Amino acid sequence: MKLLDKTLVIAWKDILSEFRTREIISSVLVFAGLVLVIFNFAFSGSRQEMLALAPGILWVTFAFAGVLSLNRSFIQEREENCLEGLMVCPISREAIYLGKMLSSLFFMVIIEAAVLLVFGLLFNVNVITLPMVMLTLLATIGFAAIGTLFSALAVNTRAREMVLPILFFPIVSPVIIAAVNASELMLNGAVWSEMASWIGIIAAFDVIFLTASYLIFGFIVEE
Amino acid sequence: MDNLEYLFAAFALAWAGAFAYMLFTARKQAQIKRDIDQLKQMIDKG
Amino acid sequence: MLSMLLISFYRRIKKYFLIIFGTLLMLAHLYMVFIFVPTDAETGIIQRIFYIHVPLAWIAFFAFFITLIGSIMFLWKRDFKWDRLASASAEIGFLFITLMLISGCIWAKPVWGVWWVWTARLTMSLVLWFIYAAYFIIRAYISEPGQRARFAAVVGIIGFLNIPLVFAAVELWTTQHPGMIIFEGGLTTEMKLTLIVGLVAYTVLYALLLKDRFVLKNFKNELNQMKNLVTGG
Repeated sequence: MKLLDKTLVIAWKDILSEFRTREIISSVLVFAGLVLVIFNFAFSGSRQEMLALAPGILWVTFAFAGVLSLNRSFIQEREENCLEGLMVCPISREAIYLGKMLSSLFFMVIIEAAVLLVFGLLFNVNVITLPMVMLTLLATIGFAAIGTLFSALAVNTRAREMVLPILFFPIVSPVIIAAVNASELMLNGAVWSEMASWIGIIAAFDVIFLTASYLIFGFIVEE
Repeated sequence: MDNLEYLFAAFALAWAGAFAYMLFTARKQAQIKRDIDQLKQMIDKG
Repeated sequence: MLSMLLISFYRRIKKYFLIIFGTLLMLAHLYMVFIFVPTDAETGIIQRIFYIHVPLAWIAFFAFFITLIGSIMFLWKRDFKWDRLASASAEIGFLFITLMLISGCIWAKPVWGVWWVWTARLTMSLVLWFIYAAYFIIRAYISEPGQRARFAAVVGIIGFLNIPLVFAAVELWTTQHPGMIIFEGGLTTEMKLTLIVGLVAYTVLYALLLKDRFVLKNFKNELNQMKNLVTGG
């Protein structure tokens, strides 16, 4: 089988198993909703003030929800001892990485779509625009790329849930900075050229860390 | 400000002390290396 | 007779050349920082901390570069001495970046009235601090040496690759939110000279500290091996 086929098989396995139990999506959705509500309690102000805070709140929610869903995806493997099973299969490490990355990306995008809807409702802000959707997708690719690598790493340590955020947040800080600033510009109706440098940073992040994680993943799951 | 000379003297003293300590540990380490090599020889023989 | 004494003295001193050179360099740098360089007109005496604050940051980033080299070499050659080099350099780098952040606060309070300012350099260093912390946390949470070295190497490589991106993001951020830009003024030749001497002095200090930590880790490793030989065999 070619790399692409193997990748899709692994991704599909994850997606199927998730849709049977709906564990990850339901719990992370509830968590994300809670985060949004808590932010509402934490900051309450005029429409202007909320508009200024909106990008930051949105991306913090995305980051926390992302970490939660990434944590879950490898912990399941551990618990069911799937990882050993996968290693025995004639599937390369790279395919495992890409497959897991794709399924994590899929889950995160579903969750983020829901968050965008709820966010728009709660904060009275229209965030379902094409630029915003594209930005979210681009940033989530970066989250999934590095998050898959790190969660494979974290699952092998003693304090799994703690390790992933500690690794994840410093590394994705460029994405967060860029995404928040780009979102801010978007919500204020800025034109593409102003946002280009921010989008460029996220795109560079995606390329660099997809490649790096793809190449390095093998070192994490070797025997 | 005229107290700068005193600041310089104070810092210079502190750093001279630090480097004297580094000299001390370097000599200690040479000693430890000799001991370890000796031990290695003894283990290899016995 | 005298020449023979001098030769034997020289031979014994040669081992400690770096320490002696480092001491002289550091003393020279201190002299420049406190006495040679004129006091800054705008910000006053406290500005002198700049000549220690900036080299600390540069060396911390350099130390992480050495950690990167050690990490790559370990994953390639699987010789644990590279892992010892990577972690030793990370320890020194972490110390330097912590000192840099603290000195930044000490500088900021009298000059700008606040303990922290989101300048490009300080923000980048803060992120680097967290990446270093992640490196040590991952090492702390894994007991098997091979896995620990491998995983730490991964964090070391990813962490270093991240630095240019953080730089780009933070630079762009500080230029687009000008309220946070702190103008440091131009540098006179005396200031540049003091900075450069400081850079060399702190690099020698880093090299000495690195050698120290590295040698100690090697000792510990040899002793462990011998212990295993004696108890196992």
